[in-house]
Amino acid sequence: MTESSSKVLARIERELRDVWLAPEPAGGSLPPKSRVCTMNLLVAGPRDLMDGYTHVVDEVTASIPARAILIALDPDAEDSELSGDATAVCSLLGGKNICSERVRLVAQGAVCTRVASAVDSILVPEIPTALVWLGRVHVTDPVFLSLSASAQRIITDSEYSSLSSLLHLSAWARRGSSQASIADLAWTRLAPWQELFARFFDDPRLHDHASRITRLAFRQASEAGARLGSEGALLLGWVATRLGWRTSRMGGALRFHRRDGKNLPIDFGVTPRPEGTAPSSLASVRLEADHGDVHVEGAIERELASGLSSDAVDADMVNWTLRVGGAPPIEQRVRFGANKAAKWLERTLHRPARDPALAESVAFAEEVLEDGVVCGAPSHPR
Amino acid sequence: MNPLRNGLVEDRTGDACAVVIFGASGDLTKRKLVPAFYNLGVSRSLPSGFAIVGVARREKTHEQFRAEMKEGVSTFSRRKPIDPAFWSDFERGITYVAGTFDAQKTYEDLRLHLDQLDRDRGTAKNRLFYLAVPPSEFGQIVAGLKSAGLVQPPNVHREGGAWTRVVVEKPFGHDLASAQVLNDTIASTFDESQVFRIDHYLGKETVQNLLVFRFANSLFEPIWHREHVDHVQITVAEDIGVEGRGKFYEQIGVTKDIVENHLMQLLCLTAMEPPISLAADAVRDEKVKVLRSLRPMERSLVQENVIRGQYDRGAVRGDEVPAYREEPDVARDSRVETFVAMRVFVDNWRWGGVPFYVRAGKRLARRVTEIAVQFKRVPHGLFRAPDGGITQNVLAMRIQPDEGIALRFTTKEPGQHTVLRDVAMDFRYGAAFGSNTPEAYERLLLDSMRGEATLFTRRDEVEEQWAYIDRVFDAWRAEANAPPPLYAAGSWGPEQADDLVARDGRRWRKP
Ligand SMILES: NC(=O)c1ccc[n+]([C@@H]2O[C@H](COP(=O)([O-])OP(=O)(O)OC[C@H]3O[C@@H](n4cnc5c(N)ncnc54)[C@H](OP(=O)(O)O)[C@@H]3O)[C@@H](O)[C@H]2O)c1
Repeated sequence: MTESSSKVLARIERELRDVWLAPEPAGGSLPPKSRVCTMNLLVAGPRDLMDGYTHVVDEVTASIPARAILIALDPDAEDSELSGDATAVCSLLGGKNICSERVRLVAQGAVCTRVASAVDSILVPEIPTALVWLGRVHVTDPVFLSLSASAQRIITDSEYSSLSSLLHLSAWARRGSSQASIADLAWTRLAPWQELFARFFDDPRLHDHASRITRLAFRQASEAGARLGSEGALLLGWVATRLGWRTSRMGGALRFHRRDGKNLPIDFGVTPRPEGTAPSSLASVRLEADHGDVHVEGAIERELASGLSSDAVDADMVNWTLRVGGAPPIEQRVRFGANKAAKWLERTLHRPARDPALAESVAFAEEVLEDGVVCGAPSHPR
Repeated sequence: MNPLRNGLVEDRTGDACAVVIFGASGDLTKRKLVPAFYNLGVSRSLPSGFAIVGVARREKTHEQFRAEMKEGVSTFSRRKPIDPAFWSDFERGITYVAGTFDAQKTYEDLRLHLDQLDRDRGTAKNRLFYLAVPPSEFGQIVAGLKSAGLVQPPNVHREGGAWTRVVVEKPFGHDLASAQVLNDTIASTFDESQVFRIDHYLGKETVQNLLVFRFANSLFEPIWHREHVDHVQITVAEDIGVEGRGKFYEQIGVTKDIVENHLMQLLCLTAMEPPISLAADAVRDEKVKVLRSLRPMERSLVQENVIRGQYDRGAVRGDEVPAYREEPDVARDSRVETFVAMRVFVDNWRWGGVPFYVRAGKRLARRVTEIAVQFKRVPHGLFRAPDGGITQNVLAMRIQPDEGIALRFTTKEPGQHTVLRDVAMDFRYGAAFGSNTPEAYERLLLDSMRGEATLFTRRDEVEEQWAYIDRVFDAWRAEANAPPPLYAAGSWGPEQADDLVARDGRRWRKP
């Protein structure tokens, strides 16, 4: 016989209490457990995705202690049932044994539509709540809507869902349908690209070159003929909306224009995808700009999968190069953030909640993707 | 303005620049400065046009200097092990110029070298001169920089050109007169807006958090004054002794080493009025007002309000330790104070009559820095507490270690009787946000590369601090320099320090 939802919750609440009542194992070398909770971290998604995500959440709560509530959704199941368990997940931090709480819920069948009421009853009050929604988001999805009502921040990953669902979501939030701010893991992963791209124009003599870009080339890790990936499209969307670029169509082809109306050729190329690199990852960006009589060339080149060689780091190296006129190039090698999913979620949770550039950039990127831009034309400038 | 920086969420990168470290063979460079730059580089906060130039008197090659710095980073960086792929690029930006500070050739060589770096590494003619040398060397260095034409006036930067800044370390003088001389020396070459005086306490996350805590929460500010606060205690306690630096310590003592700068800064941040903004001068103006409101320690007041001490033999963390006078390079009859406790008043509208008890010392029971605000008792004793009344609410802000904030309050024990008990709400920074926060030097170096001076002390602050402390030394000198009372290492200071607060019917905390 299946337990009623309230019985399941009562048991979970008991388990949460017992975690802290249980005596420490005798003779253990660990310091006593300290319960720490800075937020409620809700993670919801299809059952198959959730299984693989538990360790990501454990890793995140090791540095952002939280009550993590993982909600596996299986709305198509025949039986309607809520099941779950609770435990403490501890890690040593500065000599202390810091523990988060992890609740796992599995909602099957019709219970899915009521799972938010179950979650609400076990949220820790007075602290922020973030909802990480894995998989596609639909703003008409009642499960999403009810869960998001408790959250101050909604986090998606458009790389694994779609930019268009992110677009709908941010439009929905802008309409005032939710008080929550929207964040996206793919957008967070873009931060190092944005920062390195902005760097080309940091020298006060080059500030004005930003609006005088004459060529731009993206290269992504995929087969020739693949469609532009969301990473490249988002970066393009960000640059374009910061610099006031527009698009037009000519004979069915997509054209880009600078704020001053000048045509701006953009190349989309490919490079082989090494094992361990996500499909359509952005591999390089190059640009040229002219202002006055100063010609500028910039390149950001990611050494794809270079981070894999070192377990400790697991972050790719990036070469950044700037040539100004005839002067010797300025070069810098830095590491991108680690490739791990947990790192990006952690970083997203640490960022300021609102980023006005997100919605605008996504809208531009979506338009480009809608056009079915294909990568692999051999005109990558050297 | 770079249009792409506008609104960039994670935007904290320094301006392109060359950092020139004078005294690059010293301890500070390899222990703090280069590891901090390395960590900034790893977190992508360094600009692409960046170079470190070490200057010191011994001849050495770039490679030798890089190897020394690599060893420093491997040993002292908070990120270990060193990332070889990143280091190999980072170290290309590290170079060395040998020369003595009195030789003009040193500065001429440096100028040529910096010009070359502008071309090769895009350092954009911006210069950050870091004086990691004893203050006695400042004069020669700034004069040498000036005569070699290495210092741009501040208006050049205001008009869109390159900037020049100088960073100086403590000790910033040993009394008011010497601090003024140092300030004048620096001012002969640099405008005050170009001078960044480091007090590394201000780079600590928890010290910055004091401002956030006070001015971003509506709960505490309304009770942050004489109506509700009984008194404030500030403790900067170390459990270590002089650690082989006896010679240095004999010249300085705890009052000049800790109280004059770090402790006074903590006092300012605790007592200051809300600044109108976080702009450097807005915050520093408010701190200066606190310093100017301190009741001057007239000679007659010192005996009553200031207690010195020197550590005797004792036990710290279970180990037997020697007396201060038994430390190497310390005089057998030394009168240098290793402990000081003071009763300080901030004579202004907010704090009139509220004592600030401050203390600092070496070889105390444990290492702890904290600010504790003790609130007044409830006006009417509704509950009978068996042990003589209800204790006061205390808000303790722990700066180090275990950074955090704890609030002590009274609750009822469960049961038929009304039994009261103190409990604490304890927020631990490290537990909540992870312990891998940037070090003070990372924050301060990045701020200086960005020209943000809020966390640096201004000339008038330093001089006000010295003016206050000088009076204490005046009085001590007038006492014919009586030997300071001894306290057992591992205790909380001499008994006289307990009397200082006991006279007012209060007790020191045991933090
Ligand atoms: N170490 C720290 O953690 C720390 C913390 C706060 C403040 N400070 C302050 O920062 C400054 C530097 O500290 P430090 O620990 O690095 O000191 P240090 O190890 O004694 O090094 C001082 C540097 O100055 C040079 N120097 C000293 N006297 C000189 C002279 N007469 N002519 C030319 N060069 C001279 C030394 O060169 P040689 O190697 O050739 O002698 C060395 O490069 C000091 O004022 C110190 O008080 C240090």
